[in-house]
Amino acid sequence: MIYLYFILWLAIGACAFFVRSRREVHLLCGLYIASHLLFAGRLLFGGNYLSTSGVFFTFDAAGSLFYMLLVIVGGFVLIHSQEYLKDDDFRNYRKYFALLMLLITAITGVYFANNIAVTWILLETTTLCSAGILYHRHSEQTLEATWKYLFVCSTGIAIAYLGILLLSAAASNNSLNYEDMQVLITHGNPLYLKVAFLLILTGYSCKMEIFPLYTIGVDANFAAPAPASALLSTGLVNAGFLAIFRVYRLFAETEVFEWIRHVMIIIGVMSLIVGALFLRRTNNYKRFLSYSTVENMGIVAIGLGIGGIGVWAALFHVICHTLIKSSLFLQIAVVRQIYNGYRINRIGDYININKVGAIGIIAGIVMILAFPPSPLFVSELMILSQTITSGGWWLAAIILLLLCIVIYSVCQRMIRLCYHPNQDELHLSNINRRLSYSAFVLLLGAIILGLWQPQSLVALIDKIAIF
Amino acid sequence: MLLSLIILYIITLIYLSIVERFRNYASIIALQGWILLGIALLRLHTLDWVELSFIITETLIFKALIVPAILMRVIKQTKINRVSSSGSSQFNSLMLSLIALGISAVTTYFVADSSTHMIFFGVALYALLSGLILIVLRSRIFTHMVGFLVIENGVFLFSMAIGVEMPILINTAIMLDILISVLMLGMFMTKVDHQIHTDDSDSLTHVKD
Repeated sequence: MIYLYFILWLAIGACAFFVRSRREVHLLCGLYIASHLLFAGRLLFGGNYLSTSGVFFTFDAAGSLFYMLLVIVGGFVLIHSQEYLKDDDFRNYRKYFALLMLLITAITGVYFANNIAVTWILLETTTLCSAGILYHRHSEQTLEATWKYLFVCSTGIAIAYLGILLLSAAASNNSLNYEDMQVLITHGNPLYLKVAFLLILTGYSCKMEIFPLYTIGVDANFAAPAPASALLSTGLVNAGFLAIFRVYRLFAETEVFEWIRHVMIIIGVMSLIVGALFLRRTNNYKRFLSYSTVENMGIVAIGLGIGGIGVWAALFHVICHTLIKSSLFLQIAVVRQIYNGYRINRIGDYININKVGAIGIIAGIVMILAFPPSPLFVSELMILSQTITSGGWWLAAIILLLLCIVIYSVCQRMIRLCYHPNQDELHLSNINRRLSYSAFVLLLGAIILGLWQPQSLVALIDKIAIF
Repeated sequence: MLLSLIILYIITLIYLSIVERFRNYASIIALQGWILLGIALLRLHTLDWVELSFIITETLIFKALIVPAILMRVIKQTKINRVSSSGSSQFNSLMLSLIALGISAVTTYFVADSSTHMIFFGVALYALLSGLILIVLRSRIFTHMVGFLVIENGVFLFSMAIGVEMPILINTAIMLDILISVLMLGMFMTKVDHQIHTDDSDSLTHVKD
């Protein structure tokens, strides 16, 4: 089934390169979203859930859950982009949408791939699509960011491939299917397994935006148009997370699993440190939100490293982060339209200029900082309690200290945006409050998840977390 | 014969550390392409002829001909001929490269087992380290591009170490080569060259905190 949809999505994306009017671009976007909704409907209600499509794709719980999130965020991004880029040159405009649709298609493939090589190929495809989106503005800065993105991602992905080669050598089999590998690597050479995991983690870290290759994700979010950043910082980050999570799960029955969990904790703490420090240093709101992603993904990595209920919490954290961060990026897109920039030390007084947007940002910040009723409060509390239960007092102390720095930095910067006197030129005619309201919907979803977690969602996460 | 080619490949990696002229970089990449072609022919002759011909064709056309030609064209267009304001001297580069060779040999001795070909593993590791050293020590973007190509060749070599049983892995590595290299070299040729002038990587500092 999925191959037919892939062909359809690729065809729609390709058509967008050649259309002649904005109206046709919008029609294609509508068709694209509708086809994804249809696919999601068939997945949920058509009995396709948990089935295998072709040789390389399986509609498992993890893939299906993240796909649903992708459809929601992708739909918002496509609609917001139409308004955000309405004054752009038409050729760039249609190219942007074509690449965006191809990117969403590639991410969908990553979510459902049941083969480590296919995951890797599709992750590399996301690099190619993202590169075009980053270069949308054709400025020297975006060119530099695109070049760095391509270079670092490509090097990272080559390193990850070395890891995959080692893993298959350790498994000593012809199949690169996750299920087959999980069985076969249990008796693999432990040294191979450790090196393989390190290489894969390093390579994929550029997608998940965690230490060590996190910088490139930050640069990418900075260069891309803000609505696209919402997708890069959530859908693409989730693709990186899922790729790492599937590899992490492979090792569950091996003797090196304990070691791998320690590595995840170290990577998580390093990401948290980087996020906490750079949240204080940066002078650009988009980079600021990107460092917040690094920080949150650090918490997720710690959750995986802690194990137990921490894995459940990590998955829940990623889901809620997707809703909150995409909402914040969409809100910050409205900020850009008004101030024509993101400079933290220049812009302010947002509460008086666009009250709805300012409230959206403040609410988003409350959510991302994990204050109740944020769902992140639930996940972070679970991770901390699991850390303490397993005797990691020192780790809990480090996490809390770093989170305090994060809270201070974020509050200081965001209060500045809302209440500090503005020093930049304003473009008030560009205010579109409908976009601010619309971005609120995603946040509302996160708030609901913070107050009440539906049983079906809990069961789904249980299914993914228990292995 | 296979061993001779691998030794020659190691020599090209050592030589790469002391090279200063861009033209020589391009020549070494071309030579590595031809060596990889020879290694692929000798190592993979037991494969199905369709898979073997695909791998051979790709190595010949892409690694030995197209990539070096593009590099030469970039040199002609930019008129930048040599590494300038290098981060370290040739002697230091050579020492680092030899240390990397030593590390690769020691690591291989402890890591490699019956499931991988020990020599291939060691050389691939050395290629990876050489590429990284080149990227870190040299300041021009062109050299970074060459460093990336060296890493790619290392990955290709390693895929051959275990690829006799799993040709799909070699094909995947080839896809990586074609996809990324074409895009990166294409972008390098058409955009970076004109707007950033293949200048020192120090000039790539507009995007930062």
